[in-house]
Amino acid sequence: MKEVIAITKNMSKAFPTGEGDFWALKGISLEFARGEFSGFVGPSGSGKTTLLNILGSLDTPTKGEVEVLGHKIHQISPRQASYLRSQHIGFIFQTYNLLPVYNVYENVEFPLLLLKMDAAARDKAVRDAIAWVGLTDKIKSRPNQLSGGQCQRVAIARAMVKKPDLVLADEPTANLDTENSMNILDTMQTLNRELGTSFIFSTHDPKVIGYLKRIIRLIDGEVASDDIAPGL
Amino acid sequence: MILRLAFRNIVNNGWRSLINIVVVAIVLIVMVWMQAMYFSWIRLAETQQIDWEYGKGMLREKSYDPYDPFTIEDANAPIPPELEVGVADGDLVPVLLAPASIYPEGRMMSAVVKGIPREQQALMFPSHKLHEGEGGLVPVLIGQSMAKSSRLQTGDIFSIRIRDIHGTYDAIDAIVEEVLFIPAPTADVGSIWVNLDVLREIKGSEDIASYFVIGDAKYQGIKTEDFRYIDKQEYFADLYQMLQNERFQQVLMYALLVFLAMIAIFDTQALAVFKRRREIGTLAALGFTKAKIALIFTLEGTLYTAFGIIATPILGFPLFWYYGTTGFKIPRGYDDFGVLGFSETILFKYPINEILMVFAIILVFTAIVSWLPTRKIARLNPVDALRGKVD
Repeated sequence: MKEVIAITKNMSKAFPTGEGDFWALKGISLEFARGEFSGFVGPSGSGKTTLLNILGSLDTPTKGEVEVLGHKIHQISPRQASYLRSQHIGFIFQTYNLLPVYNVYENVEFPLLLLKMDAAARDKAVRDAIAWVGLTDKIKSRPNQLSGGQCQRVAIARAMVKKPDLVLADEPTANLDTENSMNILDTMQTLNRELGTSFIFSTHDPKVIGYLKRIIRLIDGEVASDDIAPGL
Repeated sequence: MILRLAFRNIVNNGWRSLINIVVVAIVLIVMVWMQAMYFSWIRLAETQQIDWEYGKGMLREKSYDPYDPFTIEDANAPIPPELEVGVADGDLVPVLLAPASIYPEGRMMSAVVKGIPREQQALMFPSHKLHEGEGGLVPVLIGQSMAKSSRLQTGDIFSIRIRDIHGTYDAIDAIVEEVLFIPAPTADVGSIWVNLDVLREIKGSEDIASYFVIGDAKYQGIKTEDFRYIDKQEYFADLYQMLQNERFQQVLMYALLVFLAMIAIFDTQALAVFKRRREIGTLAALGFTKAKIALIFTLEGTLYTAFGIIATPILGFPLFWYYGTTGFKIPRGYDDFGVLGFSETILFKYPINEILMVFAIILVFTAIVSWLPTRKIARLNPVDALRGKVD
């Protein structure tokens, strides 16, 4: 039986609005095992990103329980949440969110600086991560010198460099063309397979959905279906 | 790591950073200039007074009150036995004061006649020029300020009326031996210098003095029945008080300048927090605590001042060099006010410790001002920050 790394129990999330609370997530109960390559699928406003943010400890639930890698997100302090993210979780964003003043190497190195690794080990990890995403020749380039696909590869390398237990990817291919999207997804799938890192996506891109091994369909903040991908 | 990121952000900020650094540097240049001016002025004033009037200390007759001219007449006493050796050795210079009326070109003016031994060497005053006189004319030395107010010139003859110790007025004819440049205004304004022996003869007493200038430090603090030791603090009390008053204005000026620089930095940092909220969200997602993120922004703002401090000697060098070598000349006429230190060009000396202290204070101020906009980060939800939303 596979180790469970994240679990939500009857979890709901409300946002205050002028007309009372808006419930973005309603009674979500899910479990994620180590090494999964899964994703939340659904239309805009279905709660995909909100659920991803809660799993990433960037947000907290209004009701219910969430436990990620042994940390109770519904009770977590901001400092503990920062620690959890710095040690165990990698994020990939739709807009890459690279630090524009850093080059590829420095962007990838950045998360490791919070981990107090020694310089030699850090350097090796960074170069390995850059090699995984095939950007060794762009190591000195700044984000503004890279294409969208290359930027997203840097973001993947940055998310993967500390070899996290869980990578959360929010619409990672939304700004990419088909070829780049496929390349990115192939890279993530390879990393999932080779390093055993769990990936959870938030997407409505059919290309991404085609890669997912587990598809959790959200509609209006509720789990409409939770399926293993056809053929698996 | 944080320092490197802050540094890169400053470099990436381009012109805005450059303007901030230049503004800080200009403010610091003005502050260093002012600091150097006050420092050099006070040092110059002290040096002038010490060289021309105070020496290594002063023993003043106890009833003499420099703020009350009416005390001058009787503020003298015989040389105490314990000071006789010092006087004989030239380590103590007796000076006798006598209020007088002078009559240059028939006009009447009040003045203080000051008798000083011809052979003294404790002061820079060229007393060797005060010879005994001939043809019934008493040679006197006056300063340029006195010459200007009395319209006396070298070679002019005029009458001096002095009261002797018995209360009898006597008049002498004096000749201006030389008009001196006396940088210490208290030794110039209203002063007529004569040979001590001549003045004693006129006063009718052979061994009296109003004060002693100490030429050898071993006499500092000595106590006698009639003479009181005047330390540097007391002697320069007016100067230091004036400095205190000036300091207040200086602090106000500093505050204004610093305020302007801080406004520039605050504005930049407030804008940075607003413009870079997505970056703030990213940093949070990477595992940075809000305190660490705030530290990045605070450090960035503080670095502006750090770079401003580095730029200060570079940008300010021509100015500092000019005032260090050519000096600051007090505008003509100001030296007539009798303010200490105003009679000569002030060559700037730069008090490194004081300047470093000012820099350190400005750094602390900048850190506080840079921290203020980061309070918004503490309230920022990482999810909202990632979306680019702000309260």
